[in-house]
Amino acid sequence: MSRVVVRGGDLRDGAGHHGRHDLYLLDGTIEGLDLGGRVDLEVDAEGNLVTPAFLDLHAHLRDPGQEVKEDLASGLAAAAAGGFGTVVSMANTAPVVDDPGIVADLVSRSRAIGKARLRPAAALSRGMRGEQLTDLSALKRAGAVMITDDGVPVADGRLMRSACEYAAELGLVVQTHSEDPSLRADGVMNEGVVSQRLGLPGNPDAAEAVMLFRDGEVARLTGARVHLAHVSSRRGLEVAAWLKASGAPVSVEVTPHHLTLDDEALEGFDPLYKVAPPLRTRADVDHLRRALATPVIDSIGTDHAPHTLAEKQRDMLSAPFGIGNIEVAFPLLYTELVAAGVLPLERLLWLLQDGPARVMGWGAPRLDSGHPADVVVIDLEAVAAVDGGKFASKAKHTPWQGAELSGWPVATLVRGELAFTR
Amino acid sequence: MGTAAAVSTAAVTQETSPVSTTPKPARHTRRHLIDFQGWQPDELMALLDTADVMAQVLTRTIKKVPALQGFTVATLFFEDSTRTRLSFERAARAQSADVIAFAAGSSSLKKGEGIKDTLRTLEQLQADLYVVRHPAAGVPRQLTRWTDAAVVNAGDGRHAHPTQALLDAYTFRSALAIKPPEGAPLAPFTGRRLAIVGDIEHSRVARSNVELFTKLGAEVVLCGPATLLPRELAQLPGVTITHSLEAAVEGADAVMALRLQRERMSSALLPSEAEYVARYQLTERAMRLAKDHAIVMHPGPINRDVEISSDLADGPRSVIEQQVANGVSVRMAVLYTLLVGKR
Amino acid sequence: MTPEDAAEQLTYKSTIMSVEDIDRALKRIAHEIIERNKGGADLAVVGIHTRGVPLAERLSRLVEEYEGTKPPVGKLDITLYRDDLTEIALQPVVKRTEVDFDVHGLRIVLVDDVLYTGRTARAALDALIDMGRPASIQYAVLVDRGHRELPIRADYVGKNVPTSASEVVHVRLQAVDDSEQVELWERQRP
Repeated sequence: MSRVVVRGGDLRDGAGHHGRHDLYLLDGTIEGLDLGGRVDLEVDAEGNLVTPAFLDLHAHLRDPGQEVKEDLASGLAAAAAGGFGTVVSMANTAPVVDDPGIVADLVSRSRAIGKARLRPAAALSRGMRGEQLTDLSALKRAGAVMITDDGVPVADGRLMRSACEYAAELGLVVQTHSEDPSLRADGVMNEGVVSQRLGLPGNPDAAEAVMLFRDGEVARLTGARVHLAHVSSRRGLEVAAWLKASGAPVSVEVTPHHLTLDDEALEGFDPLYKVAPPLRTRADVDHLRRALATPVIDSIGTDHAPHTLAEKQRDMLSAPFGIGNIEVAFPLLYTELVAAGVLPLERLLWLLQDGPARVMGWGAPRLDSGHPADVVVIDLEAVAAVDGGKFASKAKHTPWQGAELSGWPVATLVRGELAFTR
Repeated sequence: MGTAAAVSTAAVTQETSPVSTTPKPARHTRRHLIDFQGWQPDELMALLDTADVMAQVLTRTIKKVPALQGFTVATLFFEDSTRTRLSFERAARAQSADVIAFAAGSSSLKKGEGIKDTLRTLEQLQADLYVVRHPAAGVPRQLTRWTDAAVVNAGDGRHAHPTQALLDAYTFRSALAIKPPEGAPLAPFTGRRLAIVGDIEHSRVARSNVELFTKLGAEVVLCGPATLLPRELAQLPGVTITHSLEAAVEGADAVMALRLQRERMSSALLPSEAEYVARYQLTERAMRLAKDHAIVMHPGPINRDVEISSDLADGPRSVIEQQVANGVSVRMAVLYTLLVGKR
Repeated sequence: MTPEDAAEQLTYKSTIMSVEDIDRALKRIAHEIIERNKGGADLAVVGIHTRGVPLAERLSRLVEEYEGTKPPVGKLDITLYRDDLTEIALQPVVKRTEVDFDVHGLRIVLVDDVLYTGRTARAALDALIDMGRPASIQYAVLVDRGHRELPIRADYVGKNVPTSASEVVHVRLQAVDDSEQVELWERQRP
C-alpha cells in the first residue's frame, strides 16, 4: 500500500478549476481530495498548478537501434521531466517497429523503467518501405495503440486506403506524416522568400496541403480515425478545417516548434532548426496560434525528434530532420502563449490532456477518485533559463538554449510514483 | 613664441584648425566574408578602392608585397574549382602569405567525416584565414562558429559567392568609369541597371550580385525561364523579374549571362537547349536595347553559343577577361581587409 | 585640436617651425639636393603618403626653378610594406602608389615630413626597390625627431628637433591641412 499526498496545489483538469486542495493518491489511483491521514510520501505543491500529467501522441524515442540519439530510459525520463505521463512512441526505429515481438519488448522494458508510460505505435508498412501492410491485428494484440509510418509519408494512396480499412475495423488510430514526396522534393526548409534568399532548397506548403487532402479523403472513404500529425502551415490548417467540416473523421495535431519558430530561424544555417515539415513563415505561425483556440486543432504533440550533436552539426543538406523538445514543450508554450495572453491556460491544458485522450478514444484525464494517479505539479511563476546540458534527454543541444521561461514542471507522478522532481 | 598670452592665442588658433584629410585607420569589426549581410556601402567601396591598389601591384615587375607575411591562408575546397582556388592562392601569395591548400578530393571527407571534425584536424595548422567552397549552403557560416580564424566564402551551394560579386562590381565600376554621384555618397551605383540572365534559381553568383549591387544603389533585373527564376526574389528591394530578354536588357548598363548547366536540361526544369537558346541567349542583337556603353559579363566558364553567342563573348562589349584578371586584385583586397588589424 | 587629438588626449605645446621656417628649409634642401647630385639630371622625387607628397612636389618645383628642368614626382604608399601588420589592432587604409616613370638608373630622393623610428623609411626603400633598381636613393625629411630603431639616416633635414616619447610632432601643410606650420604636442597619461 503506497499513499501519496500532493499538498496545497491549485487543482485544474478538463472538468474545471477546482481550487486549492490536497490531492491523495493510493496505490497508483487517485483517492480523493483533503482526506487527511498517514501518507508514505508528501509532495509540496504550495502555490503551484496541479493537473493531470500530459499525453504526447507523438515522440521519437529512437529505441530500438538508435540508442545513441535516445533510448527508452532517457526518453521516458525526459517525458516525465516535461510533465508528460504518457507517450506514444513512433515506429521509425532500427529495426522498424513492424513486428509484434518488438512491440511486446517495448511494453515490457518500459514497464521496468517506470517514469512516463509508454504506448507504442507500430509501423503501417513493413520496414516503412511503403509497399506492404504490417500485421495490424497482431501488433494491436502486442500492445500497439496507433499505426503510423511517421517520419515518412505513405506515398501510395492504395496502401493508405488498405491500412485505413484495416485500422478502422480494428479500432486503431492511423497517424499520418502528410507531405507529398514529389512536391517536397529535396527541400530542407520552407519554400519562400527566406529560402530563396538563403539559396536552400525549399519545401512548399503545397506539399503538405495536397497530402493532407488525400489523407483526409481516404479517412472519409474508409471511416478510419486519421490523426493528421504536425500540421505546420496556414494552408494545411485550412485544408484540415475543410475536411473536418465536410465530415472526414480526422483529428489535427500541431507541434510546439511550429507554434514558436518561423523560417527566419534558418538564417544562421543551423541544422538545429531543420525539421520536417519545416518551420513556416511568421504569418503561418500567427495563423496556427489563432487556430489553437478553435475546434480545428485537437491536440498538441511534441514530435520530439532527438539526434546527436554531431548529426546536427553536419551541413544543412545532409543533417537529419528533427527537433528534440519534450522537456521544454510546456514551459515554452506556457510562456509564449498563456503568459503572453494569446491563449487561456485551460485551453493549453486541454490540448495536452483531453484533446489527445479523445483522439485515441481514451478516458479523459481527471483528478477524480478512481482515475490513474498521473499528476504533474507545475510552477507557473518562477522564471528559469533553459539549460540543455541538464536535460534527461540525450539530445542536450536545444534551439531554446538560454531562453527564459516559466511554467516548469516541479514534480511528475505516474502510477502514483514520483517519475520526476526538479 | 614668447609670452603665455601668445601661446594661448596660438592654442585657440589650433582648436579652430580643421581636421586633416588623412584617412584615419579604421577598426573594422568585419571578421568574415560569408555574404553581404550587415556590410555597409562604405566598407564595400573601401574594399573596391583597396582592390585598385592591389591591381597596381600586379602591374609591376615584382608582383608581390610583404603585407601578409606571417599570416597563413588555408583553402578548403570541398567542391572542385581550379580557377577560383588558384585565384585565391595567387591573391595570398602576392601578399607574401603562406598558403596551405586542402583538396577535398583526397580528404577524409569522403569517408563520412563531418566538416566540424575536418576543421578540428586543420586547426593544428593554425591558419589565420580559411577560404571555403562547399556544395551545401551555409557551411562557411557554420565554420565561423567553430574557429577563431577568419572565414571567406568561396561559394556555398546556391547561397553566395561574395568575391565573385565583388569582382563583378569592381569590373562594372571601372569599365563604366563610375564616380559616386553628388548627393548620394553612399550609393555609387544609383541610377545604374544590371540585368542577370539565366538559371537564377541555382546561382550563387546571381544571389550575391543581387545583394551587392542593390546595396550599392543599383537596380537589378533578373531574367530567365519561369522554372529557373524564383518569383520570391522580386520581393527583395531593388529587384525586378521578367521572363522577357528584351525587357531585361532595355536600358541596362551591364548584362550578365549565367552559365546554363547541361543537367538542368535533362531534368524537369527545361524543355531543351534549343528552346533556351531561342528565348534567352545573349547576342549582339539582344544587346541593341541596352545603353550604348553597356558591357557584357559572365562569371565563367562560358558555354559558347548556349547562354551567350561567341561573337558577343569575344566582342568589344565583353569584359569577361577583365573579370578574371580583377578576381585576383579583389581577393587580395579581401584578404588584406579581413586579416590586417584584427589582433 | 582635431576630434582625434581630443580622443587621444593630446595637448598643444608649441610651434617649432612657422610657415616661413618651412619655406626656407625647403629652399635650402633643394639647393643641397642639386649640389649633392651635381645638377638635376636623372633626378626624381618620390613623396611618402600623405604629407611627403606635397613636400616632394614643392622640392621638385624648387629644383626646376634653380636648375631649369623639373624632376618627375612620384607618390608612394608604404602600407603594404609595413613591418607591423601582423600585430596592429587598427587597419590602415591602403592608398594608390603613383610612380609613373621607370625608376631604373635614376637618383631618387624619398621625401617625408617626419623621421622618427625609421621604419617608414625602411618600408619605403623596400617598396621602391621592388619597382626596379634606382642608381641611388637619398632621403629628405622636414623634421628629424630622433629615437631611431633602425640604422636609417636622412640625407637632408629641415630641422632637427629632439623630442621625448610622449611628444607628437604634427606637420601641417597648406595642401593638406589649411594651415602651415610644425607643432609639438604632448600625449597625456590618463
